[in-house]
Amino acid sequence: MEVIKTDILILGSGGAGLFAALRAYDSNPRLRIIMATKGLIGKSGCSRMVQGGLNVVLDEKDSLEKHFKDTLKGGGFINNQELAWTLVSEAPKTVHELEVKVGCFFDRAENGKIHQKAFAGQSFDRTVHVADLSGIQIVSRMTDQIFAREITVFEETRGLDLLRSKDEERIVGAILSNIRTGEIFVVNAKVTIVATGGSASMYKISAPSFDKTGDGMAMCFRAGAEFVDMEMVQFHPTGLIAGRSRLNGSLLEEGLRGSGARLYNGLGERFMERYDPEHLERSTRDRVARSCFMEIMAGRGTENSAVYLDASHLGAEFVEEKFPGMVERVKDIGKDLAREKVEVTPTAHYQMGGVGIDTRCQCNLKGLLVCGEDTGGTHGANRLGGNGICESTVYGRRAGEVAAALALEEDVHPYLDSQAEKIRMRWLKPFLQGSGENVYEIRDEIEDLMWEKAGLVRNGSKLTEAAHRLDQLLEKIDSAYVADRYRAQYNMEWNNIIDVTNLITVCRMVVNSARCREESRGAHYREDFPETDNEGWLKNIYQKMGDGFQLELTQKPVVLNRFKREEIEDRFFEKVKQH
Amino acid sequence: MSDPLYVKVFRFNPESDVAPKFDNFEMPVFNNMAILDVVMHIQNYLDRSLSFRFSCRIGMCGSCAMYVNGRARLACRTQVSALKTQNITIMPLPNFPIIRDLVVDMEPFFEKWKEIKPYYLPKKEINEPVTVRPDSNEREFIDDMLDCISCGCCYSACSMVATNKEYLGPAALNRAYTLIADKRDAIRVERLKVVDRSYGVWRCHTQFNCTEVCPKNIVSTRSIQNLKRRCVLRKFGIFK
Repeated sequence: MEVIKTDILILGSGGAGLFAALRAYDSNPRLRIIMATKGLIGKSGCSRMVQGGLNVVLDEKDSLEKHFKDTLKGGGFINNQELAWTLVSEAPKTVHELEVKVGCFFDRAENGKIHQKAFAGQSFDRTVHVADLSGIQIVSRMTDQIFAREITVFEETRGLDLLRSKDEERIVGAILSNIRTGEIFVVNAKVTIVATGGSASMYKISAPSFDKTGDGMAMCFRAGAEFVDMEMVQFHPTGLIAGRSRLNGSLLEEGLRGSGARLYNGLGERFMERYDPEHLERSTRDRVARSCFMEIMAGRGTENSAVYLDASHLGAEFVEEKFPGMVERVKDIGKDLAREKVEVTPTAHYQMGGVGIDTRCQCNLKGLLVCGEDTGGTHGANRLGGNGICESTVYGRRAGEVAAALALEEDVHPYLDSQAEKIRMRWLKPFLQGSGENVYEIRDEIEDLMWEKAGLVRNGSKLTEAAHRLDQLLEKIDSAYVADRYRAQYNMEWNNIIDVTNLITVCRMVVNSARCREESRGAHYREDFPETDNEGWLKNIYQKMGDGFQLELTQKPVVLNRFKREEIEDRFFEKVKQH
Repeated sequence: MSDPLYVKVFRFNPESDVAPKFDNFEMPVFNNMAILDVVMHIQNYLDRSLSFRFSCRIGMCGSCAMYVNGRARLACRTQVSALKTQNITIMPLPNFPIIRDLVVDMEPFFEKWKEIKPYYLPKKEINEPVTVRPDSNEREFIDDMLDCISCGCCYSACSMVATNKEYLGPAALNRAYTLIADKRDAIRVERLKVVDRSYGVWRCHTQFNCTEVCPKNIVSTRSIQNLKRRCVLRKFGIFK
């Protein structure tokens, strides 16, 4: 196997990976930096798909404390408060850097200053944006900056597994595969940054790009990293209904509800009046998504098992001007967002859970930094719209800085050849077996299984069924084979087998953690435990790999070092429970 | 349901095939079916050896451009119904080397993109986000042209690229324009010099091929004409 030595290896080229690379390089241009990305640079993953924008305190009438409290409130108070505080307090300088150094140009208000629009769950309109497709500009401009620097980029190159040092004490790089040629090689690094994104694509209806399959999380799991609150998966309330098309589940952005778009059920009732009369459609994502789902489940949905999103009363001209990207997307399915109501459904969107990190992006494994959606804790039980790309950029930036510092302190530690060889053989297995399981059937089954048994409304027995089935599927995927076995070049089927193996690995953590949390909080709703139990469950659930790929669970009380829950009294929490 | 789709797909693996060929597939049509759904259907259920590139599936990443029924398009944003025929031919984007089947090597596109110095460099005095009133016209015709997703459709459609491999092409020139017109940028004149040459802006013959195929409705032709004007002004000493 070819071996490349480097100072810093970054897996992923979304907002977090790109910012990490830029910041590491600018901290010390002499560092050797390799960025490997599953797709083309900046084109893979979800940062580019960001529509709404980025939450940041810029206005003097707003404050960091307000943004922080909104984030905790939205997160059901189980956020890691240090991570959440770092998020809000570093957002202003990150946005500043994006405009002034990276070259983004955010939309302006009448007075010529950066415009901030309304999103849900916020006490102040603080989302900066570029119309309704903000991610294109943020990621494109960061990618352009990569081109200005000596950063080695391996496109269409995916991480397979992380490598441990000979003394097993630290992570020393990764084994990667070049998707174009099928070659497997080693990058031996002083510091490894994982920033490949989450895996909400495990659900039948989902919003992310399909290449996001929790690769980073699965690699971290297999390497022994500790995860936090994996049960927390966000469903966005307004995914487009498009039947069997791949457009199905793609998002209609939150700014629509922020601007006053309304939700109606199949009977024409504005049902949010029942669930959150105070905030209505501008309630947080977890509540709106669950409300939509419950309407549909109660038989009050449309005939396509959906509800209606109606923006037409805002005026066609307004909608067309402010949400051109959304209007165009809806036009693809033959509807007119500006003039008629459109069918929408909750769609799996984002993982709040992930690898547990400190504010320096360090986890329980030395030499490994994790940032972006791969991490857990920042958003608690529910992420506010606009805090996602905020997290990727703030923490990508930090990871880059920390990596640059660590790279000076460390040497490239050697890895175990036998371990590398074992990993290589494991992933080549699908080529070696001439028959076996069909990966696409397994993937279809996972999506249905997760949607039905571990989705918006969960219960103990369904989750137990899901857990058993996932264990079986993990065995099944091990005997999946590649039909086109003599050609490794751009072999999509082989890559799908790796994807699905990773998906199942993350699904198991989601389901296991969801079984453990016997209460309802944020995005996690148990119909057998519908109450939020602040006495017993102001806790975080930690998981890591035990013997024989089993899951080891522990619970710890949330550290409420900055604010107690009572200090940010959430009045409508109580009301939601009654429905 | 309606008649089935008859799909012809270009196949070629430069590593193992002597020559390219077409494979034929037949499949049912469903509502809202896009070309991306067509190739995924083939890959998942009919022929697992097919290769193509995609990521976001909603027209934001620019990974899935293909040559469909004689025109460069994003597979995810091209509805089968819009093609108004049951016969579909899918090929890789022209003007690019083929990696496998429908996957092309975007290197020539990005080499040119890099040539125009696509990265913003702020003027020294700019330390804060600049104040620009929306009605000031200062950003006129920049912001609409910034939505490029570097999918390569324009590059593959441009007949000047097809005949002059050195030509920078529409996307790189459009990117150059958005920087040169951005008053915050420090190296506008330097960039203008890069595009002011035979294989730069002057190779564009205003045929509008690029503009016709752009899935983001970017009018590169206009950006290029704006650049030509600035090139002339610079020679007169007016553009600084």
